[in-house]
Amino acid sequence: MFVKRYLIPRLLQYFLVIFLGITIVFFIPRFAPTNPVQRTISEIRSRGTYLNPADVEQMVADLTRLYGLEGSWGEQYIEFWRKLFKGDFGISFFQFPTPVIELIKTALPWTVGLLFTTTVLSWVIGNIIGGIAGYRNNRLWSRILDGVVMFIRPLPYYIFALGLLILLAYVFRLFPISGGASIGRLPSFTLSYILDVLKHAFLPALSLVVLGAASWFQASKLIVQNVNAEDFVQYAQLGGIKERKIMFKYVIRNAMLPQITNLALSLGQILSGALITEIVFSYPGLGNLLFSAINTGDYNLIMGITALSIVAITTLVLMIDLLYPLFDPRIKYK
Amino acid sequence: MDNNTVLVTENIKSYYVLDVGGSKKVVKAVDDVNLTIRKNEIYGIAGESGCGKTTLMKTLYALMNPPLRFMGGKVIYYRDDQEIDILSLSKEERRKLRWEYIAYIPQGAMSIFNPVIKLKETYRDFLDSHLSGKTRDEIFEIAREHIKELGLPIKVLEAYPHQLSGGMRQRVAIALAGLLKPAVIFADEPTTALDVVVQRGVVQLLKDIQESLKNTIILVTHDMGIHANISDRMAIMYAGKIIEEAETKEIFYNPLHPYTRFLINSLPKFGDKGVRASAPGNPPSLANLPTGCPFHPRCPEKTDICTREVPELVQTGEEHKTACWLVSKGDE
Ligand SMILES: Nc1ncnc2c1ncn2[C@@H]1O[C@H](COP(=O)(O)OP(=O)(O)OP(=O)(O)O)[C@@H](O)[C@H]1O
Ligand SMILES: [Mg+2]
Repeated sequence: MFVKRYLIPRLLQYFLVIFLGITIVFFIPRFAPTNPVQRTISEIRSRGTYLNPADVEQMVADLTRLYGLEGSWGEQYIEFWRKLFKGDFGISFFQFPTPVIELIKTALPWTVGLLFTTTVLSWVIGNIIGGIAGYRNNRLWSRILDGVVMFIRPLPYYIFALGLLILLAYVFRLFPISGGASIGRLPSFTLSYILDVLKHAFLPALSLVVLGAASWFQASKLIVQNVNAEDFVQYAQLGGIKERKIMFKYVIRNAMLPQITNLALSLGQILSGALITEIVFSYPGLGNLLFSAINTGDYNLIMGITALSIVAITTLVLMIDLLYPLFDPRIKYK
Repeated sequence: MDNNTVLVTENIKSYYVLDVGGSKKVVKAVDDVNLTIRKNEIYGIAGESGCGKTTLMKTLYALMNPPLRFMGGKVIYYRDDQEIDILSLSKEERRKLRWEYIAYIPQGAMSIFNPVIKLKETYRDFLDSHLSGKTRDEIFEIAREHIKELGLPIKVLEAYPHQLSGGMRQRVAIALAGLLKPAVIFADEPTTALDVVVQRGVVQLLKDIQESLKNTIILVTHDMGIHANISDRMAIMYAGKIIEEAETKEIFYNPLHPYTRFLINSLPKFGDKGVRASAPGNPPSLANLPTGCPFHPRCPEKTDICTREVPELVQTGEEHKTACWLVSKGDE
């Protein structure tokens, strides 16, 4: 019943969205006015390198193949999917001749490690504290906290991040200034390496969690104030139910429902990286990679990262759709 | 106080104090109400929409959230010869009094249950907060026994609120109110928004609970038919004040206040096809009351004094009180 009426159509929709998304990723560069092959060659020429005509011809042929631009669009399209299923996004040009998938594989753990942790952490912290502050909104500490958040939240991210960096890495040398791990250290599963990574991740994570939690805090506080006015909360008060129970099981629990969807959407955005964080803290990750790819017109790399993001976002939305009824029994699969 | 009394109020006032564009607006929703309510009775309160019935109930229950403010008076309960001034209790004492000694069936039971938990969890929260040293299983067993005793289907405990009909939710709300055998149950419009057949079952459930607990039910409804059916004594409320109080029979056979007469005349009678006369005009705004008797602008029998002075609620018969110049003038 559930499988036939809900799951199968929903899965079909899921694959259709991915298919269309990636198809668009395939066509957009092909409609662009610039020809990537000519562009690469003129770049090489502009550096003053002399190219004789025979070499140029050979290069055009090679580049056309590497870019997947051989044959008609139909042939290219089929070839594109065939390679995609093997996890082959072609070769990167800005780090020639490393395969795109290798670049992504190197950057991905840093990005996912940092952003997944900080997104979830900010969500939990912001919602719980915002929930409690919203429930107790006439306490002094709640008002003070509100003021602090109102001050922090509008700060431009890079100023806040730079401030943290200057304070905690230059003035007080508590944390390293840049990088994902100490230079020259090889990744290994040892305690000292893991501690090294955590120490490097601390400042970028702190900057993301503080500002992230501040915005969840404000959203959650607003929602809680609306939930507070609901009949079922007043009924729990009429019933002499213990305050803590009212706060968590009645108010915060219900206030978190709309935030679950928002969490999924934030998680989906992880794969585009956190560019400014990565720049300020010279942190390795997808943001930097995507930035370089756009700067150098590295189509294969752009397509690789974009395709991955599409898959990630649609998968998260699918998961939320499937899991949501567990949190809210009023929602039925339809 | 004779030991037949469970609740007495002295000149209670509860106002909504609103801030409208910088100026204060005061809605006198409960104004100078004196009540004496007895053990083992169903005490009815009737009156038009907006006259302050719910506000009065909340005041008696000491649940006043802004903008509602308590402006004066006393609410005293008598529990085993002990006087309890509910408004001077600490928060925790008040929390414990609720459900164990006084319970409440709120108006609009459609949305009073937490939508994301099963009803047995709601039961558990009520029981957990008032009984100590019970395991989860014991608690659920108490809930099942209780539901069974009242003749409700046991499966409601496993249901989420949205899966039950309005009538069933209302019944669960009534059942829950009797859970800890309180001495007083406040029932605010328990039959409104239900169709007639369901109403009958709901009224019967209230009656059953009262008969088995021998406690007091304070029943608010604007439906005079229901009062005729189950209230022992009743009060008529108008613009935040009690304007008449007597045994229900007396109210119906010998109504003294013109407003009470309108309420009774507006009831459909068997075999009568004529249009019923309800009070002409609209109730006054509680933020801007007329001078004198608040009913005078709608009263067909008003005299000079009615427009100038507010009539007191005075004894106008044995067990009968009325606030009307037509009646009290004769005594002067
Ligand atoms: N939260 C509020 N803020 C301001 N005014 C309010 C508020 N709640 C009620 N009032 C006003 O107080 C007065 C009494 O309201 P109350 O709910 O006690 O009436 P009621 O007799 O229970 O009416 P009903 O039969 O519609 O339930 C009304 O005039 C209403 O407009
Ligand atoms: Mg009401």
